[in-house]
Amino acid sequence: MNSDATFEYDCIIIGGGLAGLTCGIKCQSEGLSCAIVSSGMSALHFSSGSIDLLGYLPDRKLVHHPFDTLPAFIDQHPEHPYAKCGPEAVSAALTFFQQTVACEGLRLYANIPANHFHVTALGTLKPTFYSQQTVFNQTIKTAFESRPSIIIGNIHGFKDFHPQLAAANLKKHPLFTKCAIDCALIDLPEACGAGDQTIQNMRSIDIARIVDNPRNLAMIASRIESFGRKADILAMPAFLGIDNHSQVISALSDKTGMTIYEVPTLPPSIPGMRLDNALKSRFAALGGVFIAGESVTAGRIQGNRVAYIHTRNQDTDIAARFYVLAGGSFFSRGLTSSAGHIKEPVFNLAVRPETITGEIAAPGFLDPASHGFMRTGVITTSDLNPLQQNGEPVTNLFCSGAVLADYNPVAEASGGGVAITTGYHAANRILNHDKT
Amino acid sequence: MIKLENTSFDCCIKCTVCTVYCPVARASASYPGPKYSGPDAERLRIKTPFLADQSLAYCNNCKRCETVCPSDVRITDFIYQAKSSRLTQKHRIRDFLLTRTDLTGQIATRVHALANRIMQMPATRLVLSVIFGISRKADFPRFDRSTFARSLHRQVTYQQTFPETVLYFHGCYVNYYDHALGNDVVFVLNALGIGVIAPPQKCCGVPLIASGNLKKVKKNGHYIVTKLLNAAGAGGRTIIFSSSSCILTVKHDYPGILQIDNSSVYHQLEFITAFIHKRFRQKGLPEMAGVNLTAAYHAPCHLERTGGVIHTVSALKSIPGLRLVLLHSECCGIAGTYGFKKEFNGIATDIGQGLFDQINNVKPDIVITDCETCKMQIQTHTPYPVMHPVSVIAMALRTASV
Repeated sequence: MNSDATFEYDCIIIGGGLAGLTCGIKCQSEGLSCAIVSSGMSALHFSSGSIDLLGYLPDRKLVHHPFDTLPAFIDQHPEHPYAKCGPEAVSAALTFFQQTVACEGLRLYANIPANHFHVTALGTLKPTFYSQQTVFNQTIKTAFESRPSIIIGNIHGFKDFHPQLAAANLKKHPLFTKCAIDCALIDLPEACGAGDQTIQNMRSIDIARIVDNPRNLAMIASRIESFGRKADILAMPAFLGIDNHSQVISALSDKTGMTIYEVPTLPPSIPGMRLDNALKSRFAALGGVFIAGESVTAGRIQGNRVAYIHTRNQDTDIAARFYVLAGGSFFSRGLTSSAGHIKEPVFNLAVRPETITGEIAAPGFLDPASHGFMRTGVITTSDLNPLQQNGEPVTNLFCSGAVLADYNPVAEASGGGVAITTGYHAANRILNHDKT
Repeated sequence: MIKLENTSFDCCIKCTVCTVYCPVARASASYPGPKYSGPDAERLRIKTPFLADQSLAYCNNCKRCETVCPSDVRITDFIYQAKSSRLTQKHRIRDFLLTRTDLTGQIATRVHALANRIMQMPATRLVLSVIFGISRKADFPRFDRSTFARSLHRQVTYQQTFPETVLYFHGCYVNYYDHALGNDVVFVLNALGIGVIAPPQKCCGVPLIASGNLKKVKKNGHYIVTKLLNAAGAGGRTIIFSSSSCILTVKHDYPGILQIDNSSVYHQLEFITAFIHKRFRQKGLPEMAGVNLTAAYHAPCHLERTGGVIHTVSALKSIPGLRLVLLHSECCGIAGTYGFKKEFNGIATDIGQGLFDQINNVKPDIVITDCETCKMQIQTHTPYPVMHPVSVIAMALRTASV
């Protein structure tokens, strides 16, 4: 680790989720060589698979036009990651992201420039910016506006989705009060690839693989037709295929004469896995190296630069010219907490807040005001360089995604947008360093 | 009384990611998946041991569940401890034949020509299949003449002339079946100015773990750790492995599944490509000739689990003329002895199909992988030659020195 000549990678990214992959793809596509070190699968597997940008203001006011709202929002929240990156970066990052996954055949819908509202498994509507075309698209939007008849369907025995619950909640919404909403169950035959497994044991992934198989298409279409009822729209849990999902769903819509769309359900999230697959394929296609099953245990900062990082399974250090910390929040162990304290475990960076006070958690689990700990994370400069304990920024380390402080991904409905924007912005900062 | 020493199942949040990526659960509906077999059922088994069911036998110990787990649960520790202590062994003789690699190897290498001929006879395979349950479809590796340990021992004076020496845990595969790979390891290390000594060793126990015989592994494990410690000496010489499964077992499963304390040698255990790659970095690249090959690289599950893929890929990238295609990571299915077992051979082939398709799409000149049984599986199911990364490096070094 004496000179730059020994660095094999321009950039090592800690964390293989939305932020890390976006950053890696951007760097790699601009000619930098990147390695992503990832410890276990990312939060995409627990996400809806839609990308939120900004859905609510701190006073719980709904955001319809996020780009119109952003300038004022940024003024009021100068420490927010969006404020550090700027509205232009938000817009550029999201466009880059949409194009990136499109290269891998995953098409995202956006109601540009507005948010749209996708239906959740509970039958509520949630503001979001990008949805997979099978979850929301122009046809669904038009259909929703014309008081459609809806069937909410499920496959018999799939326990992670309850059509009646979704229907009951959906009917409470002003947009749907006058719609005819019905529920229906499909029985899948055991012979459709499920082998000797009973359908009752099946998870979304098992069903997705059955649906993905083109040989089962006619059978599934006929099962849907066996409802004996028709509606304008058929909503199904988001398990209608993985690799071939868009072809499957359009074929099913054609065969059944209903507009079919998917409702994201409990983890493991099939739409989230589609995003994960698309991003990893893109990163690999650009020549990036993805190291799964490894975790970065420590990083050494000398002066104001990271000298090297240390991983769990290797007894030597890995060095690069630049590093990106995109290790997520508490769940992904990008942040850890112990009695009274919050810590960033790899570099021991400055975090906000450092000590746990009474305001860290709200009294109710689903408190509308959300929890204080959602806002905790590392403190960075406007270039996303984190501050050390002594207040000095680390110049060759950039932070992105849920490890950042000063935003609340849940209350703001901004998690995906912040991850993508800060991942993209970190990549641009690195590229900028190289030019100067 | 409930033993509370291993309750890492409490870290499991039931996200099911492990089961999504489990190759066995995908290929066979009879396996409920690692979440159920591991952390879920372990809670029940602690109190009610008879709840251990035969579905545990389906696990192929590829450890992809642990690689993808976001909560760092040591899933296979639960599965193998339960399998060993709570399931009765069904195929005693078969498991004996497949797992006592030292015994069969020591005998067969003495009469290798005869042994190979007998092993390839259809009648032998029929008997093995019908009576013992060893699949006829799995290709057995050919025994080499004598053992690698003996041939390396003959060079011990020469190897000690090098200013620096490392210990080589060659494992059973190199010892009994593939001296060429062992010779490549020695050639490459010698070319880097390092002598190679083989310490006394036995089978690391990975096939025994797969068959649920942890008692015998513990015996081997204690022997190995003691011998390695003695051989490494006060200088703490590095101990090199060329099999990704042997190092996973000795470094990771000894303290995990078997509770064998390996801390005295832990930091000296190193996979060959990691060692070579670091040398390349520290001392500069040796002269290597252009190889002009397109190679598809398959990362073995066990190397991925120990985070070693980065070194293999980096080392391979420094070979001039090698056009490296990194295959999307998938299990090849064979999982050591799993694919040799009659009841699992079909599952093993189904698991590997995705990988075989990927390789066939690339149409490479060679396939590169670090694992000996992945190599066997890929050679059985695709038309391409398969090489260990060290053999490719050796090829580039040899051509340069001609």
